[in-house]
Amino acid sequence: MHIMEGFLPWEWCLLWYLVAIPVVAYGVIRIKKITDENPESKPLLAVSGAFVFILSSLKLPSVTGSCSHPTGNGLGAVLFGPAVASVLAAIVLVFQALLLAHGGITTLGANIVSMGIVGPFAAWLVYKGVMKLNLSTSGWYASIAIFFAAFFGDWLTYVTTATQLALAFPIPTMGEAFIKFIVIFAYTQVPLAIAEGFLTVFIFRYIMKLRPDILEDLKVIFPKIRETIKAVG
Amino acid sequence: MFENMLDSYAHYNNLRNMNTYFKVLFSILTMIMSLISTSPVVPSIIAVFMSALILLKAKTPWRFYLKFLLIPFSFALLTFIFMAIFFGVGAHVLELGIFNLAVTQDGFNLGLLVFARIMGGFTCLAFLALTTPMNELFKTLEIVKMPKIILELAMLMYRYIFVFLDEAINMYHAQETRLGYSSLKKSLNSLGMLASNLFIKTWLKGEQAYMAMESRCYDGSIKTMKKTESIKDIGARNLALLVLFEVFLVSVVYFTANFRVF
Repeated sequence: MHIMEGFLPWEWCLLWYLVAIPVVAYGVIRIKKITDENPESKPLLAVSGAFVFILSSLKLPSVTGSCSHPTGNGLGAVLFGPAVASVLAAIVLVFQALLLAHGGITTLGANIVSMGIVGPFAAWLVYKGVMKLNLSTSGWYASIAIFFAAFFGDWLTYVTTATQLALAFPIPTMGEAFIKFIVIFAYTQVPLAIAEGFLTVFIFRYIMKLRPDILEDLKVIFPKIRETIKAVG
Repeated sequence: MFENMLDSYAHYNNLRNMNTYFKVLFSILTMIMSLISTSPVVPSIIAVFMSALILLKAKTPWRFYLKFLLIPFSFALLTFIFMAIFFGVGAHVLELGIFNLAVTQDGFNLGLLVFARIMGGFTCLAFLALTTPMNELFKTLEIVKMPKIILELAMLMYRYIFVFLDEAINMYHAQETRLGYSSLKKSLNSLGMLASNLFIKTWLKGEQAYMAMESRCYDGSIKTMKKTESIKDIGARNLALLVLFEVFLVSVVYFTANFRVF
């Protein structure tokens, strides 16, 4: 769920822009460095951005019967790192605003903070954290890490959105407004976040089965895990 | 597809040849006016004015325009109802007679303001999206010193979105005719298959695109033919009209600052 154009008062639009710009600027510097070092990564980044757009326009089935869109945060952050993912998310958000009437220009800053910064960073930290623990070397272990990364990436995005809305409309008090928005966003989003977690695991396992070399190029999985998958398969 | 149609309307409409900078400046400034307004009057004026421009001047079919506005409109309406009922502490205007719920005065006013602002902002956004092709929009960002790499990435992404959308729809239909979405578990599995296949395909496409570019002397920057259009071509008459319109909006914002329905 994006914050719609015109929803936030102008002070909050400005503040979220100021929060978002440094992170995106850092991501731009990273992308510049990556593409200067290997020029072949430019078309790859572009098609990945397009992939994130398509992914976020797919309907996600969920247990409650309602439909929502996967955010694609988990996958993007795990594959490319959070800084690059934030830039891709920013471009995707502009396209979504102009092509699909989701989100908006004045609320772009706030949406980048929730979907391009908090979500990917949470997903990336969870993935790295679980992999660091290194409890097992089986292929399923990476899947579990991916599941939690996608789950928290999705869910924390919505918690951030609820926080942003509660800050903008603290009626009657900040705390009560927060509870209202959290009931709408966070609770209803838990099943969706679980669904996105499973979906991301499925995507990841298929890629691992069919083209593990891509994941190795991106340094997402380690050769050791690939060997065990081969041995099992 | 919906997006394809939007793209073709952006390319073929009666305001297509107007200066891009003028269109961008106009819609962004008007959007800001809608945003700083503290009463629903100015956003409503903007919504009506922009819709008139889109339908009468640009000649976008009204059926398509309404479809485009349906998503923000339904969302804005839900927000309005939600805020009117749950976001008030003042006097009750209307008792609902169920669960002790009531529409309150300040909740209603806040809801109406947000509703009007969403519609005002979205009509500005629609004006931009329906009269200006995306590539030209991105070109205007050069003025604010947007790094070239981002503009190139955005343009490439825009191209590939349509390529992949077609592929994704084909795969989806193929899966659906084979009962791939008949249960929740199958849906998740099918969607996972679709997305991962799409990812692998996009990856191959990216590699092929690089090879094609490399064999055509790609040196790290994409060169395109540019129509020579600059911010100076707006013209005195258009600029005067723009300033007049915005000054008018600012004064209405100032004079209706305390206007409330209740």
